[in-house]
Amino acid sequence: MSRIVVTGIGVITALGDSAAANRAALKDGQCGISFLELFPSRYSETLRFGEVKISNEQLKQKFDITDKGVTRTSLLAIHAFEEAIEDSGLTKEQLASYDTALIGANTVGGMCLTDELYHDANNDTEGSEYISSYDIGSVNLYMQKRYNIKGIGNTINTACSSSANAIMYGARLIQHGLAQRAIVGGADSLAKFTINGFNSLHILSPEICRPFDIDRQGLNLGEGAAFLVLEKEEEVISKKPYVVLSGYCNASDAFHPSSLSDEGDGPYLAMQGAVQFAGLNTSDIDFVNAHGTGTVNNDEVESKAMSRLFETVPAFSSTKSNTGHTLGASGAVEAVYSILSLKHQELYPSLQFETAIESTGLKPLQEYIQQPVQHVMSNSFGFGGNCSSLIFSRA
Amino acid sequence: MENEELKHKLKEQIIKYLNLLEKTPADIKDDQVLFGEELGLDSIDSVELIVLLEREYGIKIKDPKEGRKVLVDVNTMADYIKEHRTR
Amino acid sequence: MIYVHQIAAVSPQRDLLVETIDEVNESVNNILKVVEPPYEGIPLSILRRMGKAVRMGVGAALPLIKNTTVPLNGIVIGTANGGMEDCIKFLNQVIEFEEGTLTPTNFVQSTPNAIAAQLSLLSSNKGYNITHVNRGLAFENALLDVWMLLKENPSHTYLLGGVEEISSYNYNIDHLANWFKDEEVSNKKLYHSTSKGTLSGEGAAMFIVNNDPQDAIAKIDALHLMHAEDVSEVKSQLIHFLNKHLGKGELVDVFLSGESGDIRFVSFFQNCEHHMKDSTIARFKHLTGDFATVSALSLNIACQVVNKNILPDHLIKINRHKHSVNTVLIYNLHKGVQHSFMLVRK
Repeated sequence: MSRIVVTGIGVITALGDSAAANRAALKDGQCGISFLELFPSRYSETLRFGEVKISNEQLKQKFDITDKGVTRTSLLAIHAFEEAIEDSGLTKEQLASYDTALIGANTVGGMCLTDELYHDANNDTEGSEYISSYDIGSVNLYMQKRYNIKGIGNTINTACSSSANAIMYGARLIQHGLAQRAIVGGADSLAKFTINGFNSLHILSPEICRPFDIDRQGLNLGEGAAFLVLEKEEEVISKKPYVVLSGYCNASDAFHPSSLSDEGDGPYLAMQGAVQFAGLNTSDIDFVNAHGTGTVNNDEVESKAMSRLFETVPAFSSTKSNTGHTLGASGAVEAVYSILSLKHQELYPSLQFETAIESTGLKPLQEYIQQPVQHVMSNSFGFGGNCSSLIFSRA
Repeated sequence: MENEELKHKLKEQIIKYLNLLEKTPADIKDDQVLFGEELGLDSIDSVELIVLLEREYGIKIKDPKEGRKVLVDVNTMADYIKEHRTR
Repeated sequence: MIYVHQIAAVSPQRDLLVETIDEVNESVNNILKVVEPPYEGIPLSILRRMGKAVRMGVGAALPLIKNTTVPLNGIVIGTANGGMEDCIKFLNQVIEFEEGTLTPTNFVQSTPNAIAAQLSLLSSNKGYNITHVNRGLAFENALLDVWMLLKENPSHTYLLGGVEEISSYNYNIDHLANWFKDEEVSNKKLYHSTSKGTLSGEGAAMFIVNNDPQDAIAKIDALHLMHAEDVSEVKSQLIHFLNKHLGKGELVDVFLSGESGDIRFVSFFQNCEHHMKDSTIARFKHLTGDFATVSALSLNIACQVVNKNILPDHLIKINRHKHSVNTVLIYNLHKGVQHSFMLVRK
């Protein structure tokens, strides 16, 4: 089997609009979570979010987008996509060739436009400009058209692990010879749909989230996008790849529609499967970018699953304390952060942590450090028990 | 009598909010534990019941601990409604 | 190559391979709604929360999972929208109660991955679990995923499925976007229509698949999916596909076309048909209506056709009679840009 390498990355979150800006903020321990400035919601001034402080108009202007019906989810996706393909040096011809795949992921699609969708769905309009942009697939379809991508196109939805699965799928397409390169990632924008959905389940934190802390009260929703360019190592000898995508696994928790099992079977199986796929021992993992949403359920279960798998749990942190939970984008965003850790041989801290969860005693990394890093695991667990883990290794 | 009426109404509302297929108010006893084996209710249902109390009786329960005390059986719910209802 | 061992569908027809046109259920107001089975295998305590998409998907798949003698290694579902009705119900609450206290059930049920998730829960399956949502190629990507999985794990068995529900909400949205006919057209006269738009439909089709040829119902030999707006490009892809996957002198017995009665896209089908000069040309959308994952139902039909060696008259557009049907090529097109070919053999 060939080694799959990452030759380009792009990311936009509340921390910044490029990989470099995100890295600088992570090193500094900056938190991008705040009250809402751009997105109108009843909770604008009572709940905190990882909002990207760039308006839709600014985003459209930046990429010269005049098409109708382009939603914020698509705009964020395009922002990260353009950075990634430029970083990888892909040409227009390569983008349009039959062997370039585009695998996206998101959970809200165009449903960030709650009010427009309400009127269109209830048939009290002539149809808004967004009439064909509500579904999850609309983001990828617009990008395929805009960049004339003729290869395999797909969109994956496994809730909060969606873009981790998009990365897996792209890598497998290359392994099977169905694509020569795959541009993989995900995006999500803030939406009344998800804000109120998570709120109705009582898992939004009234304060800035505190992953793995005993007094954590829930998550903060965020928005953003990230894309990676995956290629076969032997076919990109002229490029200097960031890292190797060395392992991945998808497993189901099969327990409950919206919470994880006590023992964390799904998370355990995903992590274990990824280590096994990479041909590593658990002791080879230097760092875990945890799912770490800050909910009572996730952080305890993830801690237990890590304790089950690792003889000594490696250093870990949750960057959701910096960005909020970017849902369908989070797997790809955190893949980019894992790649940055490996490239720069540094680890980014978890914020807001004070006291460990009693039953596990696990403490996330609390300060920025430079140290040798060979293998990083990135976890993503979603509603419905959809658990995925990725492992990136030094090239 | 008023109390019985309230409980009957409440059972109808529970069936409606939780979409308890093939159940009638007669199937739910006043002192039957709501979150036991028999009805098969879970954490999502408890949130649905909190919404029921707010929409039907104008009662807002913010504290989950308070919710656990109220959502024991039809009797405890009815008692709480009588004391706190705003409509 | 994938071997199909069990199939099931919840569709607008009692049986997708209905024998005569008289037995075909008719569309009402341009919609073909599914005939829902009694869902005996689903516990009432769980059924009460399910939206239609989850109900159809689980209802079609559970009996198959129960009948499977080998352990299932994963669940792979394609659905463009998942629980659309729940999605808009929740959205309506968001607006009507001004983001106040809302009930979570609709939200949890509305995520497209709820079907695959509920199936893993009900069958305690901790294996690979994924939901593909790329609109008109959501099911094709699920099929491609399974194809790769079976190459990676030759001894595994997977559940593959496609599901879509039509609610009044997504009907409204797609109607406003000009995808459905304005005037009433019966599904039995669908192909005579010369106007824009098609009929709306819904359904779920499930398949148990692995690499084992023994006792298989059918095999799926090849798949191709593409994004194209140009007729000639589709034709050249078809020619390339046939050259690659047919043996020397081998012919496709039946070309099962996704013709939808939408005048705007007739040329795509005509061009392909012209190339399939030696094949019987058949159609299926009068049975199903049109929706993003309708190709899953067409695959169910193709499996039955090769397995039972029957092709009912009402499916046939041009009969180039053959004694037996060994090979079916399905061509589907969704909303003018997403195309797929699936080659099914006995």
